[in-house]
Amino acid sequence: MKRRDFIRAAAVGGIALRWGRPLFAGQAPPPVPDLAVVEGASPYAITKEVVASLGGMSRFVGKGDRVVIKPNIGWDRTPEMAANTNPEVVKALVELAQDAGARRVIVIDNTTNQARRCYIRSGIQDAVKEAGGTMLFVDEQHRVRKMALGGTWLKEWDVVLDVIEADKVINVPIAKHHSLCQLTLGMKNWLGAIGGARNQLHQRIDEAMVDLAAFFKPALTVLDAYRILVRNGPQGGRVSDTELRETIVAGADVAAVETMGASLFGLGPKDLLFLRLAHERGLGRIDLEGLTIEKRKI
Amino acid sequence: MKKERSKKYIALQRLRVASQAGFFALFLYLLIGARYTGEDYISSTVQRFFHFDPLLALVTIVSARVLVASFAFALVTVAATVLLGRVFCGWVCPLGSVHQFSSFAFKRTKFLRPPKEETSSLAWKYYILFVLLAAALLGLNLSGTLDPFSFLTRSLSTAVFPALAQGLSSLNGLVYGLGLVSVGRSISHFLEDWSLNVTFIQGFAIGLMLLGALALNARKERFWCRYLCPTGALLGLLSRLGVFKLRIDPGKCIECGLCTQHCQTQARPFPNDEWKSGECVFCETCAAICPTGAIGFPARFSAEKMSSVSNVALARRKVLLSAFLGFFSVPFFRLTPFRRRASLKLIRPPGSLPESGFLAKCVKCGQCMRACPTNGLQPALAEAGPEGLWTPVLVPKIGYCEYYCSLCTQVCPTGAIKELTIEEKSEVKIGAAWVRKERCIPYVLGKPCIVCEEHCPVSPKAIKLVDVEAHLADGRVVVHKGPVVDIELCIGCGICENKCPVMDEPAIFVTSVGESRSDKNRLLLEIIPDAGDDPYR
Repeated sequence: MKRRDFIRAAAVGGIALRWGRPLFAGQAPPPVPDLAVVEGASPYAITKEVVASLGGMSRFVGKGDRVVIKPNIGWDRTPEMAANTNPEVVKALVELAQDAGARRVIVIDNTTNQARRCYIRSGIQDAVKEAGGTMLFVDEQHRVRKMALGGTWLKEWDVVLDVIEADKVINVPIAKHHSLCQLTLGMKNWLGAIGGARNQLHQRIDEAMVDLAAFFKPALTVLDAYRILVRNGPQGGRVSDTELRETIVAGADVAAVETMGASLFGLGPKDLLFLRLAHERGLGRIDLEGLTIEKRKI
Repeated sequence: MKKERSKKYIALQRLRVASQAGFFALFLYLLIGARYTGEDYISSTVQRFFHFDPLLALVTIVSARVLVASFAFALVTVAATVLLGRVFCGWVCPLGSVHQFSSFAFKRTKFLRPPKEETSSLAWKYYILFVLLAAALLGLNLSGTLDPFSFLTRSLSTAVFPALAQGLSSLNGLVYGLGLVSVGRSISHFLEDWSLNVTFIQGFAIGLMLLGALALNARKERFWCRYLCPTGALLGLLSRLGVFKLRIDPGKCIECGLCTQHCQTQARPFPNDEWKSGECVFCETCAAICPTGAIGFPARFSAEKMSSVSNVALARRKVLLSAFLGFFSVPFFRLTPFRRRASLKLIRPPGSLPESGFLAKCVKCGQCMRACPTNGLQPALAEAGPEGLWTPVLVPKIGYCEYYCSLCTQVCPTGAIKELTIEEKSEVKIGAAWVRKERCIPYVLGKPCIVCEEHCPVSPKAIKLVDVEAHLADGRVVVHKGPVVDIELCIGCGICENKCPVMDEPAIFVTSVGESRSDKNRLLLEIIPDAGDDPYR
């Protein structure tokens, strides 16, 4: 507990410093960046810091909102395998959403392996419980409904009702290797917010991802690159399949977040079809040069 | 004369009902506990009940020719039965309780009107027992078909629980329809939490058998226990000393016959000297129902004569005949080719013994099917021959073998599935995957897919992707990544078959070949890797 307390204190201190500075120095508050990238040894602290860098959670979550946080909990794997979103990242976000005044914070994913195993062994169930959020299982029978997506390729699909009934959605993917789309970052994560025969979407996976991202419209995308999966994706299986990067990328612009995330793997928009498609659909920017990026190390 | 029922025996009867309810509840609790609870290893489950069962112990030990240490608990039951009689049947057995309760319900609703005098032969269960024991001598384990623990566990796991879960889930639709979202969520959370598997190919048939067994109680009270149960028969033969012996006070008895009419197991309390101590389950009904309190069970330390153990006319010729039947039935069970040649679809749970050892030990209880988190383990119908009816087989189209799970190996009561740690289990091959190129999407439809590769849990992956050409109907040739199986890495878990988007007949499928447990059903012969040494030296 001591280390955790220290980290929490450090995070709070960091936030205080950031907002404290204009008061003490009499400067104008800095403009809110398009993208924030924070590095550090504690996934919990850097998540809090990355949201603070973007101007705080209250920019994205209003008082009384019902918030759904959508991590990747797809696999029956423990955190060091980097197949699922880091539980500490999810925990930090649940706390931030609650502090911003959310009425209820729900964490949900339509898993690939048995849901119960994924929720428990990913460490996310315990993390969410500790933070005071609610974990829900996807009820394929009653809580999934076919609806119009308005996509260019995906016209309609089965959607998890608990996700779309939320006032605000926060997307919390993990950066991983994937043998079909090369990488799975933010948009691919929406395959866990739908039901039906998801495995058929692989026939045009890049278009499906972009259509889903345009439909779900998250308020914020927080990309967990604390430990990334560099091969044998999307579930890995050995620690040697992962690389420790200790980085979180966040922003409201999913395309920009993904472009930054892809650079961790040495890939760019010219390599990744889904990024170009997302840009064409107006989902965001894929040229990092023109963006204001807040980079920090704690 | 004063007419009054015995307060003592009414209290004892209530105590017996409480004991039945308690053991049944414990049984249910442990059976529900046989699932992924959040821990990789589960401690004690309902298998402990099985270890107290002398029939399963005897038949398994004899047919597998190996001592199973946990069956030492059965000695407790044996000792209790020798000393006290069939109290196990009357006070403990959960299937007995189910039968007794349904008999009670049939009596109350007047579906069952017991006659004054019941004369049907009680010998059948003994003959069934002799068939089972004789077959066990030749290595055939049929005990699981009629053993009460196996029968009940199998029925609950593959029929009753699934039906309840289905029903509850349908009801949940109504709950959601009424707008009670949070109530609905709690129900679906509960269903997910208890991991009630809902899909069983044989669920209907097995459920029908349970219903049939219960319906028989409308003809005779505790029909199963009286005429069918081989475990009851074995305990009947063991109840030699019987410390508590029925005694009717002739001064009080008014010869009304109520005791004999309402005896649960046709043990004939009246007249006193015709009481069948080997049939009596000490339910205390006769003593509690007697209008004058004339019946009691005082303690007396003298052994029973064999004739009065059951007073069941066990004709020597019939005993011999049933034993012969047991012997001669064995070859008929072995006419199938499966002992000589592995069956294509017979994918056994990880840790299963080689097939003949497995069949000798498996008591078909279905606990592994209850524990399986993906619902993939199913009771076999014909995959393993007649001997293997209701033994577990993995059906990947329904569910796959979860990589980090060894629950089925932990709940097996007899060791037919050897207990494995997660690490040991992930090394075990239960089969091998094969690509059906003529149905595979990149191979024939010229579209990307890779779903099987994505789901393959081993690292490095056993499914590799290579560029494959599809010759399309319009003459175009399209290249995409298609799956190829690396058979050395594949463990046969079946997730590829389960997740393949070609739904009806998946384009990748698992068969039993290459399973670690068999030295015949092999695919790759391990050549000694150290080539520097001369193997013939």
